[in-house]
Amino acid sequence: MDDDAAIARSLDGDLAAYEVLVARYSALAHRTAYLLGAGDEAEDVVQEAFVKAFRHLPAFRRDAPFRPWLLRIVANETHNLTRSRGRRAELALRLGAIADPRAPDDPEGSAVATDRRARLLAAVRGLPERERRAVVCRYFLQLTEAETAEVLDCPVGTVKSSTHRGLARLREEVGNELA
Amino acid sequence: MSSHEPFDELEAELRALGAVLDVPPPPPAQDVTAAVRTRLEPPPDAAPQPAPDVAPQPTPYAAPPPVPVAPRTPPGRTRGRRGNRGRRWAVVAAVVVAVVAATAATPQGRAAVTAILRFAGIELHVGDTPPPPVATTAPLPGERTLSPSETPGVTFPVRTPSRLGPPDRTTVADGGRLVSMFWPDGIRLDQFDGAMDPYFFKQLGPPFPDFVRVGGRDAIWLTGAHPLGYLEREDGTRVPLRQAGPTLIWQAGGVNHRLEGARTAREAAEIAESLR
Repeated sequence: MDDDAAIARSLDGDLAAYEVLVARYSALAHRTAYLLGAGDEAEDVVQEAFVKAFRHLPAFRRDAPFRPWLLRIVANETHNLTRSRGRRAELALRLGAIADPRAPDDPEGSAVATDRRARLLAAVRGLPERERRAVVCRYFLQLTEAETAEVLDCPVGTVKSSTHRGLARLREEVGNELA
Repeated sequence: MSSHEPFDELEAELRALGAVLDVPPPPPAQDVTAAVRTRLEPPPDAAPQPAPDVAPQPTPYAAPPPVPVAPRTPPGRTRGRRGNRGRRWAVVAAVVVAVVAATAATPQGRAAVTAILRFAGIELHVGDTPPPPVATTAPLPGERTLSPSETPGVTFPVRTPSRLGPPDRTTVADGGRLVSMFWPDGIRLDQFDGAMDPYFFKQLGPPFPDFVRVGGRDAIWLTGAHPLGYLEREDGTRVPLRQAGPTLIWQAGGVNHRLEGARTAREAAEIAESLR
């Protein structure tokens, strides 16, 4: 069942069809919520987002893709959560404990690469919120500019400028050299 | 470097970084579908009512509107499996100064380190299995006992917990960067300059460290015995010290604190709050 068929049946109140959509997008929704700052509450955010998406499904434009529409609700929910915490969305991000495949025999080079990654991640965390959200969507979630604009509910031009400013700031912070 | 240069390399680097971020695994899809379905289905004992959640509602919005902030727990909500504990950690992630990778050395056979948290000048290496205990005991570099009349002569303010009274013994180590006080029953308080890079490291397995409040701020309580070591300033070499007992770590007034040997988190917090 493709998205459109599942949406059509969901609109008729077929919860089993909606479950297909939930199952299809729950992992991506979870990653999106987590990376946008929901942290350990990502599971709650995802659940809430799917419930809201179902209720707002009648307003969904059927000729548009479902994925960014859903992620926009996820982003909204995450934003509400971080705002209700009364503070700026913090990124509880860390690097995974993985070996660097590029340099298995070069622990020193690997450590340098790791250090650079850690600094880059710290710099992303430190970006102003608008730029950080754009950078997270464009690179960590690998969304297109158009998708990012929909998810973050802003014009494509704003995504372009926020991303550009964010990249400039990151380059200033960590320099240009690749480890 | 000119800012007009294309960002291709940086963009590629960011994409690669996104791929190695430690994102917790999503809950199983069937758990999410079940929880969502539970919330969308009308409650069985409310049969006479129309199902307001299920009926499509006409709405003027072309896209989902912003959702009200306040009610985050509507009735019938199935909560995520993580409760308050996860929430506390989310908050503390904001306090933790930096979270870095643990990729450098994970020899085969050793437990995988899943995260390194830096908090109050201490690196917590959190792994998925208990680390093997340290059998040896080593002193801190340059550690020496002060004579009773001697002041520590360090660059940060040294305080004493009034709850414990004067210590039996005070030592200063590493060229005046760290002051340790000792009381009977293995109670020990380390105070060191908060501006320093992480000084100690601790290897932890389950259970995950817990949180207590000290002077209105978060402190981390480590319940079990765990290997303790220090990080050499020059190159961050890890030097094992000994097996440490239950410990409270916190930061106050620009000074990092490490209180070892209190029996409970509450007792430790009370001692911590009595620093004068």
